[in-house]
Amino acid sequence: MFQYLLKRLLLFLPMLLIISFIAFGLNQCAPGDPVDTALEGSGVRPSAYMREYRQKAIALELDKPPFYFTLTTAAYPETLYLIMPKRYREAAGKLIAQHGNWPEIAAYFQQLQTFKSTLLGLPKDSSIKEQITTSLPVLEQLMQMHEASSINSALDSISLFLSQSPLLLQQSATAFEDLKQSYQRVSQKQSRWKLYVPAVYWHGTQNRYHRWLSDILQGDFGKSLKDGQLVSTKIKDAIRWTLTLNIAAILLAYLLSVPIGVYCAVNKGSKADRLISIFLFGLDSMPNFWMASLLIIFFTSPEYGMEFFRVLGPHSLTSDAGFWERLLGSVSGMVLPVFCLTYGTLAYISRQIRSSVVAALQQDYIRTARAKGLSSRLVIWKHAFRNALFPLITLFASVFPAALAGSVVIEYIFSIPGMGQLMIKSIQGDDWPVIYTVMLLASLLTMAGILIADLLYALTDPRVNLNNRKRN
Amino acid sequence: MKFFKKNNTQAVDVSETRSGNAFQSSTGWQRFHSNRAARWSLRILFVLIFVGVFADFLANDKPIYCRIKGETYFPILKEYGIKFGWSKGDQAYFLRKWQQEDYEAVIFPLITYNAQQTDTPNGYLGPFDKQNVSSWRFRHWLGADHIGRDIAAIMVHGTRTAMLVSVVSMGIATLIGLLLGSLAGFFGDDRLRVSKPRLLLNLAALALGLFYGFWVRSFAISEGPVFLELLKSLAILISALLLANLISKAIEKRFLLSDNVPIPADMLVNRAIEVLHAIPALLLLLSAAALIKKPSIIYIMAIIGLLRWTGIARFIRAELLRIRNLEYIEAARAMGLSEWRILFRHALPNGLAPVLVAIAFGMANTVLLEAFLSFLGIGLPPESASWGNALQSARSYPQAWWITLFPGLGIFITITIFNLIGEGLSESGTT
Repeated sequence: MFQYLLKRLLLFLPMLLIISFIAFGLNQCAPGDPVDTALEGSGVRPSAYMREYRQKAIALELDKPPFYFTLTTAAYPETLYLIMPKRYREAAGKLIAQHGNWPEIAAYFQQLQTFKSTLLGLPKDSSIKEQITTSLPVLEQLMQMHEASSINSALDSISLFLSQSPLLLQQSATAFEDLKQSYQRVSQKQSRWKLYVPAVYWHGTQNRYHRWLSDILQGDFGKSLKDGQLVSTKIKDAIRWTLTLNIAAILLAYLLSVPIGVYCAVNKGSKADRLISIFLFGLDSMPNFWMASLLIIFFTSPEYGMEFFRVLGPHSLTSDAGFWERLLGSVSGMVLPVFCLTYGTLAYISRQIRSSVVAALQQDYIRTARAKGLSSRLVIWKHAFRNALFPLITLFASVFPAALAGSVVIEYIFSIPGMGQLMIKSIQGDDWPVIYTVMLLASLLTMAGILIADLLYALTDPRVNLNNRKRN
Repeated sequence: MKFFKKNNTQAVDVSETRSGNAFQSSTGWQRFHSNRAARWSLRILFVLIFVGVFADFLANDKPIYCRIKGETYFPILKEYGIKFGWSKGDQAYFLRKWQQEDYEAVIFPLITYNAQQTDTPNGYLGPFDKQNVSSWRFRHWLGADHIGRDIAAIMVHGTRTAMLVSVVSMGIATLIGLLLGSLAGFFGDDRLRVSKPRLLLNLAALALGLFYGFWVRSFAISEGPVFLELLKSLAILISALLLANLISKAIEKRFLLSDNVPIPADMLVNRAIEVLHAIPALLLLLSAAALIKKPSIIYIMAIIGLLRWTGIARFIRAELLRIRNLEYIEAARAMGLSEWRILFRHALPNGLAPVLVAIAFGMANTVLLEAFLSFLGIGLPPESASWGNALQSARSYPQAWWITLFPGLGIFITITIFNLIGEGLSESGTT
């Protein structure tokens, strides 16, 4: 037993490693710029944007390579990740994918910067100020372009702006000519063959994944990009709501489903059993977000005269009140979400209990017990139900992760600040440090649930031998 | 009293076993057909498929047939023709306000709106409210949403979306699940033996195929038509693998290699399934959906298909574990058939029946997932007709009960019939 437990726990490690790869890989593919996400709320002035961006990027360790090695083609430079911001990097990557000549593209980007600083360095004379302010956004867009046609038309429109003022033309003509020539070199001196030569660069342990993983192993889950709060505090705040909701829901589901399931099994085939079975089947198929939306419509809005409950939301919670105070104050808001979380589990467990008690009632020992003259009650509860309990306990392991998943949408609909809402908000807002952590945590919980189920199997049924059991 | 009850339950049991015996000789299909709920669910499914296929003829703002000033038109058919390039049409044809024409004769679809068409004066008007329409024909029978889109039309076109998503993504999932599950079940850990050069060549071909098919072409995939470019990439990968196997066949013949290495297929597939199971499915789906820059139905189908194959793989694996020890497989082996031929021609077709159960339940799950993702606003694009999108748009105006009730009912019915079919299939397989 102990050996088995140890073996299973050791298997957690490679699994978590793979899941960390998946989470990290998803983040690398995600659209959106983490630095921009982090800068969003802080109100950066446009003039200081580049400096702030660079500082933030270094603070987020984005100046380090993402992984231990980079697999790429010979056309790409080893330090592509150093081009900032991300939108310039993407444009550069796409230019390389078209032409394959990084030195020329680098020179072109250099010329773009030179031209921009030339424009900015000109005296802010009223006569040319207008031309400069109109051409700067075009230049900014030019830096994010990769298609030849759009780059050429942008260059044309800039030259049009310049030609409108002789003074401006005189002072920036050389820089602009250089820029145009550098782009011509990009499109003329192509080296597309480089795009088919693989290249591998080794970065060592100074990379983002390594830093992130070692931080996590030391218990540091990082900070949220959105508000700079520690991810661990955010999760701690959220998990209380989720746990409260789910424990209430699972308890309720088990308390109700045992009598329902046993009743149906004992009266198998009766009218009541058939009705209840159909009803449970319907409940099982009822999407909980639809149920929740309907309940909100009919029971929380004054329109239909059935405003029995109120919708819980961040607005109804005062942060200085204690946790229990807040909880008691919002019990009325919890009724509907708990119901929505309960009914699906209830329907599922009841049907499972029914079928396992039906199977137990057909066993020979039940006939023996009845023949002994035991009361019907004793036979059902002590003999049949006890033996039917076995799959019930193990169901718990699958019920728990399912309930956590179910609470995602319920929390979103009823605006409960739990794990589900945290997750959805983080995903919608590209707040990846939170997503990573929730993903790892939820996976750990799920794996623990599966392990507990296997252990319970062995505990409730001595016939199961864990060490030799063929797992499938 | 006690005995009474006992007799009663026993009577039921006896009759059940008897009926079971009576059906023992019958085929699975007959057993399935004798299940009333499953039978009716199948019929409703056919209706849903019909609605999905002919959605344009059931809910459309253009008439099916009409006569204007002596000329006959078939606007819906004409639209199909233009879409597929069979006939030419001009912009005026699409911009024409068909609902305000003067007709000599006309046949309108049952619902005279398509799912995208807005009708702002009727925004948020319910089925029982007084609506600003010129004739009963143009009433919004199930109400309208905030910009006056017809809920009945959304229901009809949403059926098409739901059917399309569930069929395609379960198709992808079935393909992956069948392949991996049958490899794991039929070969186990020690029966899939290949020679060392073949193994090395295949690994190399896999690496090169992935590199040249996907990594080098990532720019082309992101810029061009996604579907076509992905197909090209897949073709590169597959041809690389084919080439590797041809070469290794030649090598094996030349050097008469016999020291084979076993490939632990079962272990590898099981580990993959375990990893996918360890991450809560919803979380993985949500974060995968967050990667999409432009929401599109293709991505949703691909994501669901690529993540939901594990159930099917487990079913087929368990079935093949049983089948591979049957006598007829042994006989086939004794006749000298190759392992792959036995797997695909003899073992796999016999293991398909229980997979239908997994597919039916998977369909129910897919409909739910698509609706759920759209409901959260990260599934289909907001303008496309989907039940989940309609539920999402109802959130901002809870008074409009009809926007929530009807699309939700669509989801509910679809899930229920798939569940009933799955239940019927699993019962017809076991009794």
